[in-house]
Amino acid sequence: MRNTLWVEWLKVRRYRTFWILLAMTILSIPGWTYFLFDRMKNSFPKGKTATAVLGSPFAFPDVWQTVSWNSSLLFIVPAILIITLTTNEFTFRTQRQNVIDGWSRKQFMGAKLVELLLLSIKCTAVVFITTLVFGGLANKVQPGVSIWDGSRFLFFYFVQMLSYSMIAFLMALLIRRAGLAIAAFLIYMLMEEIVVAVLRNLYKLNGVDYLPEEVTDRLIPQPYLRKVLQSPDEMTRWQHHLPIYLLVALLYLIIYCVIAGRRFTTSDL
Amino acid sequence: MNILSIRGVTKFYGPIRALHQVSFDVPSGSVFGVLGPNGSGKTTLLGIVMDVLKATSGSYSWFGEPPSERQRRQIGTLLETPNCYHYLSGEENLKIAAAIKQRGEKDIPRVLETVQLTERRHSKFSTYSLGMKQRLALASCLLGDPKVLVFDEPTNGLDPVGIAETRELIKQLAREGKTILLASHLLDEVEKVCTHVAILQKGHLLMAGHVDEVLTNEDYIELGAGAPALGEIQRLLQPLPGVKQVKTQEEHVQVYFDKEAMDPSELNRYFFEKGITLKHLQLRKRSLESKFMELTK
Repeated sequence: MRNTLWVEWLKVRRYRTFWILLAMTILSIPGWTYFLFDRMKNSFPKGKTATAVLGSPFAFPDVWQTVSWNSSLLFIVPAILIITLTTNEFTFRTQRQNVIDGWSRKQFMGAKLVELLLLSIKCTAVVFITTLVFGGLANKVQPGVSIWDGSRFLFFYFVQMLSYSMIAFLMALLIRRAGLAIAAFLIYMLMEEIVVAVLRNLYKLNGVDYLPEEVTDRLIPQPYLRKVLQSPDEMTRWQHHLPIYLLVALLYLIIYCVIAGRRFTTSDL
Repeated sequence: MNILSIRGVTKFYGPIRALHQVSFDVPSGSVFGVLGPNGSGKTTLLGIVMDVLKATSGSYSWFGEPPSERQRRQIGTLLETPNCYHYLSGEENLKIAAAIKQRGEKDIPRVLETVQLTERRHSKFSTYSLGMKQRLALASCLLGDPKVLVFDEPTNGLDPVGIAETRELIKQLAREGKTILLASHLLDEVEKVCTHVAILQKGHLLMAGHVDEVLTNEDYIELGAGAPALGEIQRLLQPLPGVKQVKTQEEHVQVYFDKEAMDPSELNRYFFEKGITLKHLQLRKRSLESKFMELTK
C-alpha cells in the first residue's frame, strides 16, 4: 500500500492542474461558507422576530448541519479533480503501462479508491475546521449546549462526499474522456433532481428518496429557515429514516466499488 | 527452459477473431521474433501476455508459472506507443516506472545515458519528439536490467541513426544473454537480430521455431557463366543427385539442393570438367522476406 500511494504521489506532485483543482476544492468550502455567512448576517433585518424566523444556522450546534450542507453544494469541484486524474490515465494510456510495469489491475483500482478516500477525508477535515471557525464567529453557544452536539453531520458529509466521488470516478472509468465525463456527471446530477421532484410531487412516489444522489442528500437536510419550511413531523420522519438512508448509501458505495472493480479487472485496457 | 509458453490462445474483438489457437514457446536466451503483416495479431498477442488484454480462451505462463504482476516486474516491456504522463519530465516518468517495478531510482541515470536522453531528462514528455518518446520508453524497459525484454515495433518513429542504434542495442542485450521477444512487421529487422521466429497471419500461427529450422533446406547456389551458357548449365544440373529445383534468372541460375548434397566446390569442379567456366558461384541463404511472402500470400 505504501508503494501504491508513493506512485500516486509521484503522478501528481508536479502536476499543476492537480494543485489548482485541489486548492479550489479546499478554498471553496470556507469561501462559500463565508459568502453565505455574510449574506445571512447582512441581508436580513436584525431583531428577535428575524431570529425566530431565520434561526441561527451558523451558531452551535446548527452550524455543523449548515456548513456540511453548504459544502455539499460544491461537490462538482472535487468531482472535476477526480475525473481529470482518472481520465488522464486513459488519455495517456498509462493505466496500461502501470499494469505492464508490474501493478495488478486490482492494485491500480485500489490506488484510485484510496485516492478518493483521502480526498474525502481532506474535504471533511476542511469542513470540520470551517465549522469550528464559523461557529466560533457566530458566538452564540447556548448554555448547556455542547459544540459537538451536531457533529454527526460531519460524518454524513463524509458519506455524501465519498458517494459523489465514487459516481464521478465511475463516470470517468466508463466514459474515459474528461469533458464527456464531467458533462455526464452534471447531467446525471440534474436529471436525478428533476426525476425526484417530478415523481415525488406529481405521483407521490416516496421510493425516489432512495435514488443514489437523493439518498445521500437526505442525510443532510436543508438548514435555512427550518422553522418556516420544515414541520416537526418532517424532522421526526427524518430521524426515523436516518439509519436506512445510511444503510442504502453504504449499499450504493459497495455497488459502485463492485462495478468499478469488475469493469477494470475484466475488460481490455 | 522456456521463458514464455503460450497455449491455444484465442482472442475475439466482438465478431472479429484476432487470434486463433496460437501456441509456441520462447526459450531462455533467445531473441524471438513475432512476425506478421499489420493486423496479424502481434500486438494483441503481446497485450495478452502482459495482461492488458484478456484472452477469450487459452493460457500462457511466464518462467513456468501462472502469470502474475510479480513476473511482469521482472520484464522490460515496450508495447505499441510509449505511454507516459505528458505533463511530467522524462526523469519523473522513469521514477514512476521504477517505483512500480520496485527497482529503486539508482538505475535511472544509466538508462537515460544508454538512450542518450540525459540532457533532456528534465524536459516535459509532451515536448519530446516521437523518436525521443520511443527512446524514453526503451529506457523504461531497461530499468533494473531485466533478464527478459518484450519489444513491440521498437524502431517505430526513430530516424535511421536511431534505428541502427536500437538494433545494436538489441544485439548487445542478446549478447548479454537476455531473452528478447520482438514483434515487428519489418522482416529485415527481425532477420538481423532474431534466433527464433513465429509467423502470424490473420491471427493464425503459420510457423514457429529456430530461424534455421524455419528456413531449413532453403539455401541455394547461384551460378553464372554469361547468358548464352545458362541453358547449358540448366541442362547439366538436371541429372545431378540431390537437386530439388532449378530456376533461371536473367543472368544467373538458382539451384536448390537437399541440404546434405550441397557442395559449391564439387559443383564448380563438375562444370569445369564439362567445359564450362563459371564466372559466378555463390551460396545464398533464402531471405526471411521471401519465406514470409511465400507463407503469407
